[in-house]
Amino acid sequence: MESLVGIVNYIVFFAITAGTYGVLSLGLNIQWGYTGLFNIGIAGFYALGAYTSVLVSGPPPGPWGGRIFGGFELPFLVGLLAAALVCGIVAFLIGIPTLRLKADYLAIATIGIAETIRLVLKNESWLTNGVWGLQQIPAPLHGPIHSGVSNFLHGHPDLPAWLHSLVAKSYNWFYLLLVLVVLFILYLIVERLVRSPWGRVLKAIREDEDAAAMSGKNTFSFKLQALVLGAMIMGIGGSLYAHYARFICPSVFKPLYGTFIVWVMLILGGSGNNRGAILGSFVVWGIWAGTDFLTGYFPFSATQAASLRIIIIAILLEVILLWRPQGLLQREKRASEIPYKRS
Amino acid sequence: MQILSRIPQLLIYGVISGSILSLGGIGVSLTYSILGFSNFAHGDFMALGAYIALGLFALFTGLRIPNTPFGPLSFGFGFILSFILAIGLTALAVVLLDRILFKRLRRASSIILMMSSIGVALGLRNILQFFWGPQPHYYIEKIQLARVIPGLNIRIKPDQVFILIVTIIVIGVVHYFLQYTKMGKAMRASADNIALARVTGINTERVILWTWVIGAALAATAGILAGIENKFITPELGWQMLLSIFASVVLGGLGNPYGAILGGMIIGLSEEVSTAFISTGYKPAVAFIIMIIMLLVKPTGLLGRRR
Amino acid sequence: MSLLTGESINSGYGDMEVLHDVSFHIEEGEIISIIGPNGAGKSTLLKTIFGLLNPTKGRVIFKGNSITGLAPDRIVRLGMAYVPQVENVFPSLTVHENLEMGAFILTDDFSDRLEEVYELFPILKERKKQRVGKMSGGERQMVAMGRALMLDPELLMLDEPSAALAPKLAEIIFERITAINETGVSILIVEQNAKESLKLADRGYVLASGQNRFEDTGENLLANEEIGQLYLGG
Repeated sequence: MESLVGIVNYIVFFAITAGTYGVLSLGLNIQWGYTGLFNIGIAGFYALGAYTSVLVSGPPPGPWGGRIFGGFELPFLVGLLAAALVCGIVAFLIGIPTLRLKADYLAIATIGIAETIRLVLKNESWLTNGVWGLQQIPAPLHGPIHSGVSNFLHGHPDLPAWLHSLVAKSYNWFYLLLVLVVLFILYLIVERLVRSPWGRVLKAIREDEDAAAMSGKNTFSFKLQALVLGAMIMGIGGSLYAHYARFICPSVFKPLYGTFIVWVMLILGGSGNNRGAILGSFVVWGIWAGTDFLTGYFPFSATQAASLRIIIIAILLEVILLWRPQGLLQREKRASEIPYKRS
Repeated sequence: MQILSRIPQLLIYGVISGSILSLGGIGVSLTYSILGFSNFAHGDFMALGAYIALGLFALFTGLRIPNTPFGPLSFGFGFILSFILAIGLTALAVVLLDRILFKRLRRASSIILMMSSIGVALGLRNILQFFWGPQPHYYIEKIQLARVIPGLNIRIKPDQVFILIVTIIVIGVVHYFLQYTKMGKAMRASADNIALARVTGINTERVILWTWVIGAALAATAGILAGIENKFITPELGWQMLLSIFASVVLGGLGNPYGAILGGMIIGLSEEVSTAFISTGYKPAVAFIIMIIMLLVKPTGLLGRRR
Repeated sequence: MSLLTGESINSGYGDMEVLHDVSFHIEEGEIISIIGPNGAGKSTLLKTIFGLLNPTKGRVIFKGNSITGLAPDRIVRLGMAYVPQVENVFPSLTVHENLEMGAFILTDDFSDRLEEVYELFPILKERKKQRVGKMSGGERQMVAMGRALMLDPELLMLDEPSAALAPKLAEIIFERITAINETGVSILIVEQNAKESLKLADRGYVLASGQNRFEDTGENLLANEEIGQLYLGG
């Protein structure tokens, strides 16, 4: 019974993280899946959202690290929305010079931007505590739930060990619910948007930007909106991560975790399909977790195991690109989509 | 005034750095114009070359192949042999990679190819890390003393002179190849218009093969030279330089190998000179900002390319 | 045996079929002109013959052998050359280098052939060290044709050679085409400028909506009033 509880607790932890990645995938799906924007700078928005949320809702600067800014201790939701807002603004500023560029240039530019964000987070200690990171991040409703659980456990000392263990981790259940609710709401919003006339323009831009431009649409404006909206959603993902992990620092948001894995999730799940995005996050996160167990069976060092896991994911990506680049759940084809290659 | 007196020395560093960026950039430019995509794994090709050289050097040292340093340089025959063989092996590895992966994606969109190259980049880097670990590995143990050039207030090490000479020779060879050999001209033709090259009867698969070979050889050279300059290598070596390399290539004109050389020098010099004015922590951002300015002002780059 | 035969060809792009049941033949030494309105499938036909597109039905037979489905670089070795309508030169290479690329698959010395091509296009000889990207439209067209002739093909296919050229230059190009034909090269030319191309053609085909509409000698097609009204508007 004990081990079953252990497994259940692990699954809850797993689902929280996979759900957070699902949010990131939804954001990328708007940018790439529906509009065709090649954004390799996801890690930047992820980090930006996390830091903003913490600086808004977190505690004032402590004795470590040299931070002098922030810590307004506002409610969690304010932090979440602030994260979305800041990411949206930054995406807007970034989009203006870069969205007119071809895919190759946009890709390089987004890496540069993510890198610049990371450097700022690392170097500007007065704002972010630099490499020391931000600690003691408050988790929403943590206080009330924690006392409620404590009281309950104190009032029932004869609980079987497994039940005790389960109840003690109740906060995670709450957080899982929070993540799933946010994910679901965002899914509904995005689904609504992509089926609207706005969404159809995005798809037209992805298919053939010149044709879309010729039919009178201001393609630049639409691409900017997609970039901003996607970035805002990624910011929300960052916020969800930060308040669960309760500690963040610049090295957490390395290009691998923030960017590459989300791309693999979206491509495997099916770019241009919101359910695919979410499915992809759970599947790839499952594979990632699986590689943890797998490498545990062999006598590898910690860094070797970490490297091997990344190699497996990289191979996974190549296999998908070679054999099923459209992903598991294909994007919906429209009746008017006649495959037409120009000579 | 204090700052200005440091500039000549920074210029020297800049030329060294620029040389390495140039060698890396030529491959990226050729791959872009002939294969049609920006290869995000190019930095890791550099790292691959550097580590293969390291491994060979360890092997040769074990086999007691002599390595008495040539003159004032830090290394001798054993290292040079490793250098040359590493270039060949890296080229072989990249050709194999093309056969297994990129060849099957010939008809894919440039975005899929870029995505694929990112996967290769991460995979390659972690293969290196798997075998050698993330800690730095030293090419040269001893610290080499810099020689002062009288009157000019600059110091330069013999190893750095070696880097410059190798760069000049390599660029000269590449130039000769592109301008005066049949395959070189075919490569330039394919860079202009690969569909027309096919129509003309040029064996474009062979051109592509040569593109990978030359690109990988240059990358390996750049990686090993970087190892000599920095004294040590880590698996992240390539990725760290990739942004600056892309900036150089964009600056010079994406698709133009001569642009890559010019761009590499400018970026190298700018990055080093900038340290006189801003914190070294932001060096990569300098390359990035120059690139963004170029993209806004003249996206085809300094030397341009009609595509 | 005809030099080139197309039998009931269906071809197109992806799901979109452009050519339906198109047939034609070219005899040695002929100049054949294919005319028709925009979108009729003329360029598509040339691309299908040259292996840039694969026909979904039908065959292409060159010198008695089926070349259906062969890749362009195989077809070029069999004695056929193709000049696309646009982007038909290497702009960053010199005139000489462009021609050199035309002879890429030759392993022997090609300087004799080079001289012959320069004789056909004397202006190119003067400019042989010039980068083609900097040359005028007419000169570029000559480089494109010269490049195609380097392998001494038996059949030369030209896709709208006079497009985007001023009438004076177009005239020169057409005159050169006749000269090339006189050296023994058969020519298949696709043209928007129907009148001019029919003038120098032995026979012509009219293609519309992807199908054969008419076939006759050049003179007869020119004289035909119905065709004149429908297709020779220019």
